[in-house]
Amino acid sequence: MKKSLLLLLLSLVLVVFMAACGGDDEPSDSGDTDDEDVTDTDDGGDADGDDGDAAEESTSGGTLIYARGGDSQSLDFASTQDGESSRITLQIYESLLRFNENSFEVEPSLAESWEVADDNVTYTFKLREGVKFHDGTDFNAEAVLTNYERWSDPSHEFAFTDDGYAYSVYGNQFGGFKGDEGHIIDEINIINDYEIEFVLKEPFGAFLQNVAMSYFAITSPAALAEHGPAINENPVGTGPFKFVSWTKDDNITLDKFEDYWMEGYPKLDRVIFQVIPDNSARLTALRAGEIDIMDGLNPDDYETIQNEAGLQAFERETNNFGYLGFNLEREPFDNVLVRKAMHHAVDKEGLISLLYAGLAEPAKNPLPPAYLGYNDSLTPYEYNPELARELLAEAGFEDGFEFDLWAMPVARPYMPDAERAAEVLQANFADIGLTANIVTMEWATYLDEVSAGSQDVFMLGWSGTNGDSDYFLGNLLGTQGIPDSNSTFYSNADVDALLAEARTTVDEGERAALYEEALAIIHEDTPMITLVHSIPVLAGSDRVKNYVPHLSTSEPLTFVELAE
Amino acid sequence: METVTSTNKEPMPGPENQEPDITKNESVSPWKEAYWQLRKNKLAIVGIVIITFFILVAIIAPLLTPYAFNTINAGPRLTGPSADHWFGTDDLGRDTFTRIVYGARISLMVGFFAVTGALVFGTLLGIVAGFFGKWVDMLISRIFDIMLAFPSILLAIAIVAILGPSLQNALIAIAIINIPIFGRLVRSKVISIRQEEYILAAKAQGMKNGRILFHHVLPNSVAPIIVQATLSFGTAILEAAALGFLGLGAQAPTPEWGKMLSDSRQYIQSAPWTVLFPGVSIMLVVLGFNMIGDGLRDALDPKMKN
Repeated sequence: MKKSLLLLLLSLVLVVFMAACGGDDEPSDSGDTDDEDVTDTDDGGDADGDDGDAAEESTSGGTLIYARGGDSQSLDFASTQDGESSRITLQIYESLLRFNENSFEVEPSLAESWEVADDNVTYTFKLREGVKFHDGTDFNAEAVLTNYERWSDPSHEFAFTDDGYAYSVYGNQFGGFKGDEGHIIDEINIINDYEIEFVLKEPFGAFLQNVAMSYFAITSPAALAEHGPAINENPVGTGPFKFVSWTKDDNITLDKFEDYWMEGYPKLDRVIFQVIPDNSARLTALRAGEIDIMDGLNPDDYETIQNEAGLQAFERETNNFGYLGFNLEREPFDNVLVRKAMHHAVDKEGLISLLYAGLAEPAKNPLPPAYLGYNDSLTPYEYNPELARELLAEAGFEDGFEFDLWAMPVARPYMPDAERAAEVLQANFADIGLTANIVTMEWATYLDEVSAGSQDVFMLGWSGTNGDSDYFLGNLLGTQGIPDSNSTFYSNADVDALLAEARTTVDEGERAALYEEALAIIHEDTPMITLVHSIPVLAGSDRVKNYVPHLSTSEPLTFVELAE
Repeated sequence: METVTSTNKEPMPGPENQEPDITKNESVSPWKEAYWQLRKNKLAIVGIVIITFFILVAIIAPLLTPYAFNTINAGPRLTGPSADHWFGTDDLGRDTFTRIVYGARISLMVGFFAVTGALVFGTLLGIVAGFFGKWVDMLISRIFDIMLAFPSILLAIAIVAILGPSLQNALIAIAIINIPIFGRLVRSKVISIRQEEYILAAKAQGMKNGRILFHHVLPNSVAPIIVQATLSFGTAILEAAALGFLGLGAQAPTPEWGKMLSDSRQYIQSAPWTVLFPGVSIMLVVLGFNMIGDGLRDALDPKMKN
């Protein structure tokens, strides 16, 4: 016995010793990446002076480490809907237009200015001159044309259709692909090197909004030719940061692009996107100074962080909804009574107080409240287990059934802890006699499998990236979103027709009415249980300056600075 | 071991005083003798008390608590220990005491079945290897060596990854990784017994191999198996908790201690009771089995006799 006690003591000592070493190592590690800081090791006082000088001369912007819950699925923005992907591609790539840092108002980016002709279908973009891609080639009208053709024409040499590339967001936002009846872009004409004209088939309200989306950024045509289908791992754009390396499930490193067209920007020398799956481990890393910004703060920690010295908390405006989707191609979820019963079984308020610390509101529409066409007149599915049991009995399932409940493995803006949320939902379903087995897997696999339809019931959500209602409804519940963003496989001709009509309607009031009508049908069919609209919260070190979380899921870090 | 000898030297009431009776009585069975030895071992007694306590708790779990282990309630979320909730509540408002109590069932069950499985298969393979020797021994022993070359938890993770995460599969994985431990133990014991004269005698009489194995070899190697089984009980529970912690063992809403730990670890600072109680429970049970195991080893080892 004495021996084992001794062993226990020894191992304790060892653990403490190792922990102490770990703490010592960290500052010197992060210092290594920053040339100015290397001198710090000599003398504390002197080093401080050095840093001050450095800041004044602004020779060094330092390295910012941005920690997040999951890895990117791909670095080709156009062929993925993953928010973790656009978080990176927004740094590397730019679209013709961009959004204001606080709203979805469009601003000039690669296009300096634009003109809409009186016919409402001809848009002429004047492109910025002297912009270089990271590979040194020039950005011009030809590059814009190549990119738009790549997405719209499946047989284009850079479409890489055979390698599994699909541009479903393009298909949805622009009404289809080349040759499709609904495809809104009639032709794209190069006027000269720095002027390009888009001619639409009919007036289209959301056109500029769509052009500004991160999905429609411009890739270097030379890089597309060089890397081919491997472009998703070798991104080359015009953005403030250029791609350096990607270690899967660990980090993505980007360096400042010296020839960036915006004089004096970006401020940072290097940005590292670090994957730390566990929310609390990420917070610990932030507190230890190992990272500078963390996504996916636990709502529970929000108040603490606001009052904690050395840290700051950020809020994104609510612009999302989390949902529990049914796979309509599987029994018994093809039965609307079962779906209604399960919708009535979910206690959304309970979910919010348990998991969101109040930083959310229950969702009744698959659209955030501020959006055009949000249908406020719908009566939400109230939490009513009694009614749920009755509906189940009516559907012939009075004895209940067993199903797999898929939960995301990572924190998402609309769902800070999906596995915990799944446990709450599991208990809700148990109350009406249903047995849910929680299933989870790696994030990229999860997205692939859900798109492929291997699930019974799955958790997921959607965040707006252009402020347009169609981005939600068309992608998630329109037939053209199958088999990609529409993982419920909901396909209703009436809804499709209403959405198509809304897409080409310019008058806002009429559009709103069409969306409201579509939402009423969706509400009745309930292909998904809309759970919550959340206010995503982030935390960062107080050294981080000028960081403004955009209400879409991510933002370029062009203006961000690190203070000493 | 030292502690045992030192306690023997101290004058003790009860068992100590009865010792002379045993040594005088030549015909006392070795089991009875081991029992007396065990009773003298204070640590073993403590272990037995702890384990008996947990077994009782597991059996009468529903009587101990007015709550259900899976009732989610936003009201008393992350509240500290109180008269209503002795061990506080977790982040989903579930009563931690209730979950600990029901968790005892899970842990003891995992320990029991995993050890039984490992014991049955390990002993069989060990006997076969040890008794028949030659290529059979070669084959079985090399397989054991290969299995022991892997860190046990890694092997368990691999097995669960293949079978899919669930409590049952975690149990199977733990049983499998413990097979070579029993196997090697039994094999070495059998090899030493095989040379004994009584076995040779049995063989000379024309007794069948099966009969020799189960009537003579096995009963004579039972003592170390019992010790190993008791010790393995503790390790098995610990391994189940580790798998649960990694999300590869019991699935929600099963109140498994390791899973409770991992679910609550983000609240270790704000609500330490959510982590403390499952942690202490695991520690106590494992400690209890280790104490009994150590005590049994001392009691059953003929060299330890006074």
